Amino acid sequence: VRRRSWFGPLLVIGVLATGTAVAWVAQDRFDHWEHRELFPSCAGCHAGAEEAGAPLYPQTANCADCHDGSIEDRVEWAPPTAPRASNLKFTHSTHAEEILRATPDSALRCSACHSESDGDPMQVRVAVVRNCLDCHRIRAEHLEAPDSACIVCHVTLVQAVRLSRTDVSRFPAPPSHRAPDFWERGHGEQARVGSRGVAGSCATCHARDFCTECHVNAPEVAAIQALQPDPRSLVHRTELRAPASHADPGFLLGHGQPARKNAVECATCHTQESCLGCHEASPTVALAMHTAGPGRGPGARVERKRPESHGLDFTDTHAEPASARPQSCGACHARAQCLDCHRPNAADPSPGYHPAGFLTTHPAAAYTRDQSCADCHNQSQFCADCHVSAGLGSTDGLRGAGYHDAKAEFLLNHGQAARQNLESCVSCHSERDCLSCHSAQGGRRFNPHGPGFDPETLRRKNPSMCTACHGTAIPGE
Amino acid sequence: VNGLVQRGAWLSIALLGLGPGLAEAQGYRLRLDSRVQRVTYRGLTMDSIPVGDVVTGPTGGPRTPDNFAVRCPPGSTHCFFFRAGPELTGGPLVTTADLTLWGLGISGLSVRMNGRLGLDLDGDETWPGTEPSAQLVEAYAEYAQRQFTIRGGRQLLVHRLGITGFDGGRGIVRLGRSGVEVDGYVGLGLGRATALTPTSPALDPLDEFQPQSRQILAGSALGYRGRRWEARVDYQREVDRDSRNFVSERAALSLNVRPTARWSLAAGADYDLANTWFGNADAVLRYTSPWLTVTGGLRQYRPHFDLWTIWGVFSPVPYSSAEGAVFVRPLRSLELRARGERYSYSDTETQTPLVDVDDDGWRLGFGASYSLGRAWRFDAGYREEYGPGASSHGFDALISWLPTTVLSLTAYGSTLDRPLEFRFNDASVDVVGVDAEWSPTNQLRLAVGGERYWESRDRPDAAAFDWNQTRLHARVTLLLRSEADGFRLPPALRTRPRAGSR
Repeated sequence: VRRRSWFGPLLVIGVLATGTAVAWVAQDRFDHWEHRELFPSCAGCHAGAEEAGAPLYPQTANCADCHDGSIEDRVEWAPPTAPRASNLKFTHSTHAEEILRATPDSALRCSACHSESDGDPMQVRVAVVRNCLDCHRIRAEHLEAPDSACIVCHVTLVQAVRLSRTDVSRFPAPPSHRAPDFWERGHGEQARVGSRGVAGSCATCHARDFCTECHVNAPEVAAIQALQPDPRSLVHRTELRAPASHADPGFLLGHGQPARKNAVECATCHTQESCLGCHEASPTVALAMHTAGPGRGPGARVERKRPESHGLDFTDTHAEPASARPQSCGACHARAQCLDCHRPNAADPSPGYHPAGFLTTHPAAAYTRDQSCADCHNQSQFCADCHVSAGLGSTDGLRGAGYHDAKAEFLLNHGQAARQNLESCVSCHSERDCLSCHSAQGGRRFNPHGPGFDPETLRRKNPSMCTACHGTAIPGE
Repeated sequence: VNGLVQRGAWLSIALLGLGPGLAEAQGYRLRLDSRVQRVTYRGLTMDSIPVGDVVTGPTGGPRTPDNFAVRCPPGSTHCFFFRAGPELTGGPLVTTADLTLWGLGISGLSVRMNGRLGLDLDGDETWPGTEPSAQLVEAYAEYAQRQFTIRGGRQLLVHRLGITGFDGGRGIVRLGRSGVEVDGYVGLGLGRATALTPTSPALDPLDEFQPQSRQILAGSALGYRGRRWEARVDYQREVDRDSRNFVSERAALSLNVRPTARWSLAAGADYDLANTWFGNADAVLRYTSPWLTVTGGLRQYRPHFDLWTIWGVFSPVPYSSAEGAVFVRPLRSLELRARGERYSYSDTETQTPLVDVDDDGWRLGFGASYSLGRAWRFDAGYREEYGPGASSHGFDALISWLPTTVLSLTAYGSTLDRPLEFRFNDASVDVVGVDAEWSPTNQLRLAVGGERYWESRDRPDAAAFDWNQTRLHARVTLLLRSEADGFRLPPALRTRPRAGSR
């Protein structure tokens, strides 16, 4: 209860303190309405609005005539030392001459801009935009005014040198920017004026830097080049979005044809690098695009998608399509990815193609060549080398092969196994092991030739091979 | 050592030459990738004892006094057996630089380089692939225009005849907008499936036959690329520079048809003109939709051997297979998969009266993946196969957790039983592993992990020692690229293969 007794007064004090602060902030601007009885004309304080060279604001001493601490409280105020930052193409002196011709009453003259059209002249506002539009006969809302209207009142962003980045960031976005197709097509159509110009409405708020946030083809687009560079324009952040066409499920496979037909359009957003992100192995695809560099947008960041053809079993079955059409693989895959598996790394425990622990299953899989081991593994470098170091290889003639460690009779019955799985034999045995029996020049002279042996063609292709067993006495010669 | 210094000097000159280009190029992409692994495992070592010291084991076979089964060749004074070898440690460290430059002042000109520096930190060269220490996988300049592409330097060809590396030139001409293109290339070939020349000592661990000089590789292709289908005919020959004999001569046909967006047919075959037989051939019909993929196909597999070896004259026979697979995503978070294949070898025309060797086999696998929100992923699979000389069955499971968008933690395990092919007895393997990957920025990726293998061999003698292994690994990947698109690592980087896949 005691605590609550303090809460009420504290709340009151807080509210009062806050209210005082709000009131003080509200009084920060000069209250023209409060002083309406004292100043019959605007020019008494704002002479510069009518006379070129005269001060636009009164002196501090003018205020102190009344606000001396006895008649009225003192105020701390000083006239601005520089014109307010603005992108308006406007001076009071030029406007004053025209308005002076219309009405001699300075209050009315000023209220043409600084008061609502139906308000009291001393209800002073910062220039009322509607009044500007009406006077200049622009029959549209401010942000919906036609392109040609902007330059009536505004200078370009590049010319508005006094605007800070914060000022620029507060520019309101026109309703046109919210149109569904504005960023994809609308903005380009609006921006083009003639063959080499740019719409004034764009230049009012934007500069070239803004366009090059996205446009890879910025140097080739006349409307963009018609804009001056200005880094302040980058406070309006934008980013590339994929056009609607890219959402089509078939776009990935079918984008090549439209890209060839109209590469210029693709080059709006894509660099050579963004093509090469996928088409790494076939850079011809990217030739129609521009390379990334100064003055160009960084380009769309392309992420690879898995084509439908890469089904659930594709790791196991990619061999056939890869051999039938290697170029199509090369469109997306870097050669290094193939080499990860097809040129095995001695220090990789899992070469990639095989599942974890394949070492345990490889004897059976290799024996019947479930897959073609020789596509990736050199039998001498990979198989025989390891088998020799493990004591399985035949380093000391036939009896030195540890693989058949206790199967002495296998030698007498190896014929069928050898013809069925000769690659397995070769992973441990050298030719000399076999020639000890299968040579026509020595040993037991067992004929090794079997089904499909074509001596005539083989001798024609490579007679040296025949001499290994037959010496110079090659049958048939 | 001289060779190493020489290669290092060439690599340095190349990098220095690329330096100014990198500085001036308007576009570049540089991926630096360092990986290190530490592996400890135990191998075999051959031993022998005099025939007189052999004892008879409980099953009647010859053994050593300490219970190792032995082989006693007829007429030999010694019997042979294998003991557990010393514990071996490998520490491969490989740094890969992959660089692409474009915007070099000439429109259409780009430069690509992929090179590796590797070494075995433990110095005893137990791990394959770390010799020689500097390997240039690719390094070429390319000038591409709409109607043609020319390329010079070390490059890889990717087509149905495999992935072939060579040092030379390549030109591709595209005939207007017809979709027809003509491809031709010539150069000095590299060893198959490696960045080394065929004369490299690293390709001769068994001191077998090896060519004395690099072969001339040349080929051409005619292709058509249309909206609904594409086809390509390849011809490629490799000729020994010294003897002018063929190292290989092959042709291939590839076809890919997409009558609708969901259906596709991929088919092709290669023909060995030297051996006058078909090598690999396949045809796969596939239906793909966002929630269902079904494939069915036929294929033949026959290995290819260069003619500087004699392996081809041993007449390797092909196997033919029919396979099918289905992937279903009944829920957005659930994926089910199954795969099966049945294969059969051609007649080997051999006789093995003492053993009964199969000539056909099958394999199947199925599994499921479930995602719980964006953070959790569970995957489990089962696979089984049976065939001549190879059979196994086992489970895999994997759990991935993404506590944040830049960190992933993965734990996995598997268990496998596999009869040791043409050997003594069965083995079983259990594996447990963990991986962690962190991407603190778009340009940096860090990963660490480790796995432990327990392999036990079921045999009745002292050679039933374990083949246990421990592997630890770490990885740093740094991606640098021009600002225009320097926003993230390529999303198309491979993902970890699913458990239960091949």
